[in-house]
Amino acid sequence: MIWVSWRLQRTETVITAAIIALLAALLVPTGIIMANAYDRDGISACIRANGSDACGGVIRSFTSRFETVAGFTSWFTLVPGLIGVLLAASFVLELESGTYRLAWTQSITRRRWITTKLGTAIAAALVAALAMTLLITWWRAPFVRLEGRMENGAYDFEGTVAAGYALFALGLALAVGAVWRRTVPALVVAFVGYVAARIFVDTWLRQHFVAPISATWRELAGKGGPSGSPPAGLDHAWILNQYPSDRLGHHIDVKLGACFRAAGVHPGKVSCLVERAAVYSHVVYEPASRFWLFQGIETSLFGGIAVVLIGFAAWWTQSRR
Amino acid sequence: MSQVSALTAQGLGKRYGSSWALQDCTLEIPPGSVTALVGPNGAGKTTLLQLAVGLSEPSAGGVLVFGRLPREEARSVLPRVGFVAQDHPLYKGFTIGETLKLGRKLNPSWDEEIAVRRIELLGLPSGKKVGKLSGGQQAQVALTLALAKQPELLLLDEPVASLDPLARREFLQSVMEVVADTGMTVILSSHIVADLERVCDHLVILSQSRVQLSGSIDDLLASHRLLTGPRTDSAAVARVHDVIRESHTERQSSLLVCARGHVYDSSWEQNEVDLEEIVLAYLGQRTVRVAEARPIGEAVRS
Repeated sequence: MIWVSWRLQRTETVITAAIIALLAALLVPTGIIMANAYDRDGISACIRANGSDACGGVIRSFTSRFETVAGFTSWFTLVPGLIGVLLAASFVLELESGTYRLAWTQSITRRRWITTKLGTAIAAALVAALAMTLLITWWRAPFVRLEGRMENGAYDFEGTVAAGYALFALGLALAVGAVWRRTVPALVVAFVGYVAARIFVDTWLRQHFVAPISATWRELAGKGGPSGSPPAGLDHAWILNQYPSDRLGHHIDVKLGACFRAAGVHPGKVSCLVERAAVYSHVVYEPASRFWLFQGIETSLFGGIAVVLIGFAAWWTQSRR
Repeated sequence: MSQVSALTAQGLGKRYGSSWALQDCTLEIPPGSVTALVGPNGAGKTTLLQLAVGLSEPSAGGVLVFGRLPREEARSVLPRVGFVAQDHPLYKGFTIGETLKLGRKLNPSWDEEIAVRRIELLGLPSGKKVGKLSGGQQAQVALTLALAKQPELLLLDEPVASLDPLARREFLQSVMEVVADTGMTVILSSHIVADLERVCDHLVILSQSRVQLSGSIDDLLASHRLLTGPRTDSAAVARVHDVIRESHTERQSSLLVCARGHVYDSSWEQNEVDLEEIVLAYLGQRTVRVAEARPIGEAVRS
């Protein structure tokens, strides 16, 4: 049955491999260029030296040079969904076209057919997600050293979450397809469901996994005392919100535009801010140290729902009368 | 050959939603028989065969294949049953060779020689995609898959419905050869009895989701008579024999009866009937029953 199952899933597996190959074709050359630039500019030495002005310039020029490419890769967050949905096709197609009647009337039980077919789909999805994670993690390494990997654009490709996303998309397509028995609509609906779930988690749910940390520090030296410094490791953290505030962290609505218009240049802006008592900065963030905790929570969330959905598809198909 | 019947149905029923696809079906298929399952489209033929192979589960009663439950005991039933569904589903992207490999992988009792010999006889290249074959060739490949499994019971759902007359003849020829060689029990369904008459020795008529008639074709031919005589009520005959269909003209009555013993009344001229007439009579039976029911209803009211 394993041979049969792989043979039936051959097209989907080839397409999946092609998608990964395409990612590699895009990422490997740019990745090499980026790694070389990182070494040549001496950025790692810069980070160790902890930020002289010259260094800031080097880092800024590096990030601005590769910003566009990095932004483009954020679209790859759809890939686990695409792969997961695609790998459900073989299973749903059998129910739609009626070939399950051929398979179920050979000498193997329906249960064995279901477990083997689902098993090969899960295996392919996991391998593809792993390949993609390794590829993008390698590619992003210079950025991670500069900015950390807690922000959405990086976090989604690192660690274990991509496997969870791929399984979730697979499970959703299987569950919808098992009931509906129409391949194309089921796959489309599952993909839309995947995108909706990802948007919900990325923009709202994830920041509530663990309550974020707040900090306020004095930005500008003045009558109230010397300037403070932002919390350590903030440059690697996921910053949810940051704004000028008073000493207690209350938001102050600084009309920056008005400040600029009033004074035009930098020193003027400072005094303008001081006038408005906005000498403090307030930040709400998830620290980089929570990376694996968040990854664990999110992978279990998507993986857990995937297990339920795949189990449902199996049960529904098995108990079909 | 064991005494266990190949297929036994007892009060078997299958409901989809609120409508019964098959109801109160009781029959027994003896081992070694070749049975024609005849009835109009939607009579429940496919339902009966799918119940027998465990593709669906009964809503009422039960069905046993070689004394076992097809669904619960699939492990012991499935290897003994070959099944070709109505549209003979196959993986269209597979080559013929891959299709045979599938059969080999999924059936412990697979006989590669049977399979390869049949494909060679059909003149089909094993590298050809199944989807590129004609309907008749696909039906033959599906049959090959079912036969190389070496089943003891072969279920063919409308095997010739989608075939042209030549392919029809070739297909049935194949089935007959296998039966002659192996003594396999076969059940074939069709909505046209003429398709199957030459091949079968048993007949089951399904209509309106119910079994109307079931028995060996020889017995059926021997017991059914067409009585023709001067116009009269059928009541006297109906007391002894089963009147399946009656028709009356001004002067003459003709009754198709299932005779319970000899018909003694010499006012009736007796004639043998052929299988097709018997089938048509049973399929049309319901209208007769409706016509009979009306006077009873009036009697109750008055």
